[in-house]
Amino acid sequence: MIELINISKQYSSLKAVDDLSLVVQPGRICGFLGPNGAGKTTTIRMLMNIIHPDEGSIQFDGSPERPAAEQFGYLPEERGLYQKISVEETLRYFAHLRNVSDANDKILALLEQFDLHERLNSKVSELSKGNQQKLQFINTILHDPEYIILDEPFSGLDPVNQLVLKQILDEKKAAGKTIIFSSHQMDQVEKICDDVVMIHKGSSVLAGDLKTIKRRHGQTQLQVIPESPADLEHPIFSDLEADIRDDAAYLSLDGNKKQDLISRINQVLAVQSIKVDEPGLEEIFIQLVQGERT
Amino acid sequence: MTFLKIAWFEYYRRIRSKWFIIGTFGMPIVILGISMLGGYLTGSGAGLETKYFGVIDETARYGAQLRSALDERYADVEDAPIDLAIAQGTFDELHTQYDVLVKENSLDGYFYIPAEFSTETTLRFYGRSSATIRQTEIIEGILGKILTSERANALDLSMEVLDDLMVDVVVDHYDLGASQAKETEELVAGWIAPFVFMFLLFLGIFTGGQLLMRAVLEERSSRVIEVLLSTVSYNDLMGGKIVGLGMLGLTQSAIYLMAGAAAGAYYDVNVITAGISLLYVIYFVLGYLLYAGVYIGVGALFDSEQEAQQAIQIITFIAVIPIMLWTLVIENPNSLIVNLLCYLPPVTPFFMMIKISVGATSATQVLITIALMAASVYLSIRMAAKLFKTGILLYGKRVTLPEIIRWIKA
Repeated sequence: MIELINISKQYSSLKAVDDLSLVVQPGRICGFLGPNGAGKTTTIRMLMNIIHPDEGSIQFDGSPERPAAEQFGYLPEERGLYQKISVEETLRYFAHLRNVSDANDKILALLEQFDLHERLNSKVSELSKGNQQKLQFINTILHDPEYIILDEPFSGLDPVNQLVLKQILDEKKAAGKTIIFSSHQMDQVEKICDDVVMIHKGSSVLAGDLKTIKRRHGQTQLQVIPESPADLEHPIFSDLEADIRDDAAYLSLDGNKKQDLISRINQVLAVQSIKVDEPGLEEIFIQLVQGERT
Repeated sequence: MTFLKIAWFEYYRRIRSKWFIIGTFGMPIVILGISMLGGYLTGSGAGLETKYFGVIDETARYGAQLRSALDERYADVEDAPIDLAIAQGTFDELHTQYDVLVKENSLDGYFYIPAEFSTETTLRFYGRSSATIRQTEIIEGILGKILTSERANALDLSMEVLDDLMVDVVVDHYDLGASQAKETEELVAGWIAPFVFMFLLFLGIFTGGQLLMRAVLEERSSRVIEVLLSTVSYNDLMGGKIVGLGMLGLTQSAIYLMAGAAAGAYYDVNVITAGISLLYVIYFVLGYLLYAGVYIGVGALFDSEQEAQQAIQIITFIAVIPIMLWTLVIENPNSLIVNLLCYLPPVTPFFMMIKISVGATSATQVLITIALMAASVYLSIRMAAKLFKTGILLYGKRVTLPEIIRWIKA
């Protein structure tokens, strides 16, 4: 478990992180979200012991004692790779720094998993952006760290490799690893994460279990798509104060029972689909940030 | 020892690179080749561009003798460096038309041999002196020999007798402690060796410094620095780099010193002794560490190599001082100015190595300079560590001088 307790970091006149607290549980993936300049990178650097907080503390499994560096795997947002050396030299060097035993076997197995084994002797600069990202991810998990911190890991990856990466993250989660996943892509976070922490101007604006957050902060609606778009003009939608957009009617579930609404609509209209429409993280985030501004 | 792993990585990846191999073995060959070619061209006069000269010969004989001497000298050379057009007559009659020919670039200049040349021994040259200086020297030499030969004949002396009369005095050099007089090779080595020691230090220290700065810039610009710093400490990373690239410079120096020692053994000249080699290593390490601090500090502050190179220009200026003043140290090794320069840490290693190799220093001076260098290295590395720690993660930010001073003071 990683616990940040009231940490702050000031750069000259800028308070990059302001009294931030968060908890990341083992065996779960925590999405770390926020707009540019929110303090995500500073927080991650403090977590990685690259810089130190001015105030507050960071605990690991309830102890302020920091685990050994090889217990951490960190994938920075931009390519953290030497460009002029080969794939093999890159992985061997970091494996050596992290005291990895059986480094050769582990390197080959991971390269094969990501279909990079034929590029073992290629220079990093000769790899495509996607392959460099795969190499960077392999370098992050090669030493099987307990704490995995990923900043935009899907950047440059095609859907097939996104799937491979997601599978590995699920395996790591099942193995009880503590994983932080920082991204701007909220849809990716929704697909992968169990918990989320949103920060804005260095402070947490939202934190907790993803499902609970969506339930608590978003307005859940019923989305109705009639067989004929002309039926969107039907009086039932005005009676129910529906929001008509994108060839669908959205009905608020506040004070209405879902089954009652569905029966009423089915009685008067031929319907193509009816489903519960949950709010996206992006909408929740925008609501929260805009609410703070007003 | 994490920093040793980093040192090995930095050392091993570069020592295998073709640039290290080409630089280490190719550069001495190029320098030697250029020196030998220069020596050959300067000594023989061959290879010089042909210059066309007029000669106004009021003596009606020295011009012809000059031509035949030149023909004899360059009989085997396809393009002789001097081509003469000799005219007999007086200066007043001929100089106007020669002036025009020079202005039109038909001639590179003309010589005026006055009627009283045999007694006055002076002739004049009109033309572009700077471009014809070597050719003018050749003509001076030939005419000098002609006049000497004439005077010898007047005294009924043969040239052989005259050569016998010309006495060359030679000073045999004895080192205190050495039992035999130094041979010519040894004297040459005694003159060249100090320069070579200084130049090797110069090469190793500044090449190592440049590599260090580039290594920091590479890690900073590729952001690999973040991954490294999440794995190792700042001190291990900086220390590993300094040690690895310093070992690279020492390897290069060791190759040159061993080659020099082998050449010395072949010519029976003992210049590279164990004592000098040890002091070389000490001054190399101290000089390299002093500059390493500066190079690593600058590398940590800039995003591009161009900006970093601009900032480091002052170092280039300091580095040129020993190159400019090395002859001063050899000729006046105990002068006040040389001794003062020896106590100036940025140039101490270079001047001390020259003084040591000409045997003009004392154990006390060596110890004092080593102590001074050690103190400077401590300050330089401390400063570098502060700049490295603060600046290395500030991407895209133009750092100001007050900020740098504040970080160093912190």
